Amino acid sequence: MGKKTKILLVDNDVDFIDLNKAVLENNGFDVAVAYAGREVMDKVKFEQPDLIVLDLMMEKHDTGFAVAKALKADPIYKGIPILMLTAVLGETGMDFSQEFDGYWMKTDAFANKPLSPEELIKSINELFVKNKKG
Amino acid sequence: MGETINILVVDDEKGIREGCRRILASEGYSVDVGVNGKEGLELAKAKQYDLILVDLMMPVMGGIELMEELRRFDSEVIMIVVTGFATIETAVDAMRHGAYDYIPKPFTPDQLLVVVNRGLEKRRLSQQTLRLMEERDQKLLEVANEKSKLHTIVISIADGILVINREHQLVLWNPAAIKMLGLRGGLEAGSEINRIIPQKDLVGVIDKGFSPDSSQYTVISEEIILPPPDKKTIMVNVSRVRDEAGRDFGVVATLNDITTLKEINEIKSQFVTMVTHELRAPLSAIEGYLSAYLTGAAGSDPKMYQQMMERARQRAHSLLELINDLLQYSRLESKSVTRKKEHLDISEIIVNTVELFKVQGSAKDIRFELNIPDSFPLIEADRSEMEQLFTNLISNAIKYNVKNGRMIVDARPEGHFLHISVSDTGIGIDEESLPCVFDEFYRVCGPETRYVTGTGLGLSIVKKIVESHFGQIKVESELGKGTTFTVMLPIKQDKG
Repeated sequence: MGKKTKILLVDNDVDFIDLNKAVLENNGFDVAVAYAGREVMDKVKFEQPDLIVLDLMMEKHDTGFAVAKALKADPIYKGIPILMLTAVLGETGMDFSQEFDGYWMKTDAFANKPLSPEELIKSINELFVKNKKG
Repeated sequence: MGETINILVVDDEKGIREGCRRILASEGYSVDVGVNGKEGLELAKAKQYDLILVDLMMPVMGGIELMEELRRFDSEVIMIVVTGFATIETAVDAMRHGAYDYIPKPFTPDQLLVVVNRGLEKRRLSQQTLRLMEERDQKLLEVANEKSKLHTIVISIADGILVINREHQLVLWNPAAIKMLGLRGGLEAGSEINRIIPQKDLVGVIDKGFSPDSSQYTVISEEIILPPPDKKTIMVNVSRVRDEAGRDFGVVATLNDITTLKEINEIKSQFVTMVTHELRAPLSAIEGYLSAYLTGAAGSDPKMYQQMMERARQRAHSLLELINDLLQYSRLESKSVTRKKEHLDISEIIVNTVELFKVQGSAKDIRFELNIPDSFPLIEADRSEMEQLFTNLISNAIKYNVKNGRMIVDARPEGHFLHISVSDTGIGIDEESLPCVFDEFYRVCGPETRYVTGTGLGLSIVKKIVESHFGQIKVESELGKGTTFTVMLPIKQDKG
């Protein structure tokens, strides 16, 4: 077996990171973590992840979008799929979807928080499948 | 009439004078006499006469001249000319000078009485007319007063008022409406509303008031937001105006500026959103740890689950803390809060509070230093709130401290204030976050605070307590060196 698939988890919620890191590792993934948007670029360079799970609201309400934009503008990293996690639906009634917002917000998939570890793994696998097809 | 009727007879002929006096007195009239025009004028100036008999041909002052003079100060008195030259010309001349009638000499008592009584009847009628006119004027004045009263009320109402007739023309408005809508001067009754009111939303709401299906009892209420730069939120109520017969007159629109209410509401819902978020985050973490434990999703290492359960317990504990802080916070927010202010020796409270943190402090090997003078001025304060205040500050000074750090409490009177500072030698707060530390739910994020639990309400509560005691709080911090909070509380002044 070759190299394990590496996921970069980005969230300022330490519980979310710790729990999902443990679960993803148990499911055969390699996991790197970042706790703020400003840490992402360095982590991506250093860790070379295969997929990024990115929380939308961190330092600012739209930090996730800013990070995604920066990554997709980078010729080396633009191929890394981004799964954007949002918790805005319950607070603002605003819903994001890949169909309508993906192109503008430079994401590859959306998932709504809160989501269980199983749901996260399911979303990650779906995104890998979709990217292989595309 | 009940009142005495006064008659003046001016004639140079004694026979005529006395004859008239006797005839008229026998009828119950009060009669005075004058021998010439001049004397007649003097008498008339001194007393109000109803009727004056004037001889045309008199020495000193003739009848025509006398009548001219009389008219000058009494336009109502009835003047009757007595003349020996009863020609048409003299009669016309006398009439032109204000005489009501004339009687030719010689005359019989009956002839005199007919002319005099006719004159008096005329006098009575004209006086009645005058009285009625006065009454009418008085009534008009009252109506005018009523109108001006209504006008005063309308212009004094704080809500804006616009009255619009069936032709959609503005007929009445008040200064509040002008101010709210920013209408410029030159507003005229009868102007078309869609021409003079630039806020199309408002015109739209008013138009709805005219729609045929809005019944007599319907009040159309809508909120409109005025375009920038005002951006005021106005509650518009439009109701129909009808007379007793049910005929349509138009509509009345009242405008109520609810901008401030809206803002308060906005702040409230933001707060609710924040609270729900703060409650949900730890709860979903607990749920996540529990479900990972139950499903075995994190593998088979029992140590891992031990850690997860410990974290879940911490999160449950911080949820409880949050709820306690929220209760405390809402107690401070509520207006009915009763403070039991007493004369307190703050030094005692500080020493006791520091004592409570000995265990927590020694876990991180933090050294406590207390610099409190022996004699300490009293302050007027609520004991439990003061305990809460120092608990929050000292607990922060330990939580955000480093191992082997120090926590220093300094207290000293300065002027009318007691300065108490709580310092730590911990991680410090960056410049950007410093102004926000007293905001509700604000927590400084960084690698060092990642695992420190807190509700984000502790310092908000501290600030509220300080302010409710007429004090001040300030914060100084240097990243990596430490933070100092200084509380200034007014010293109890000795009276007398």
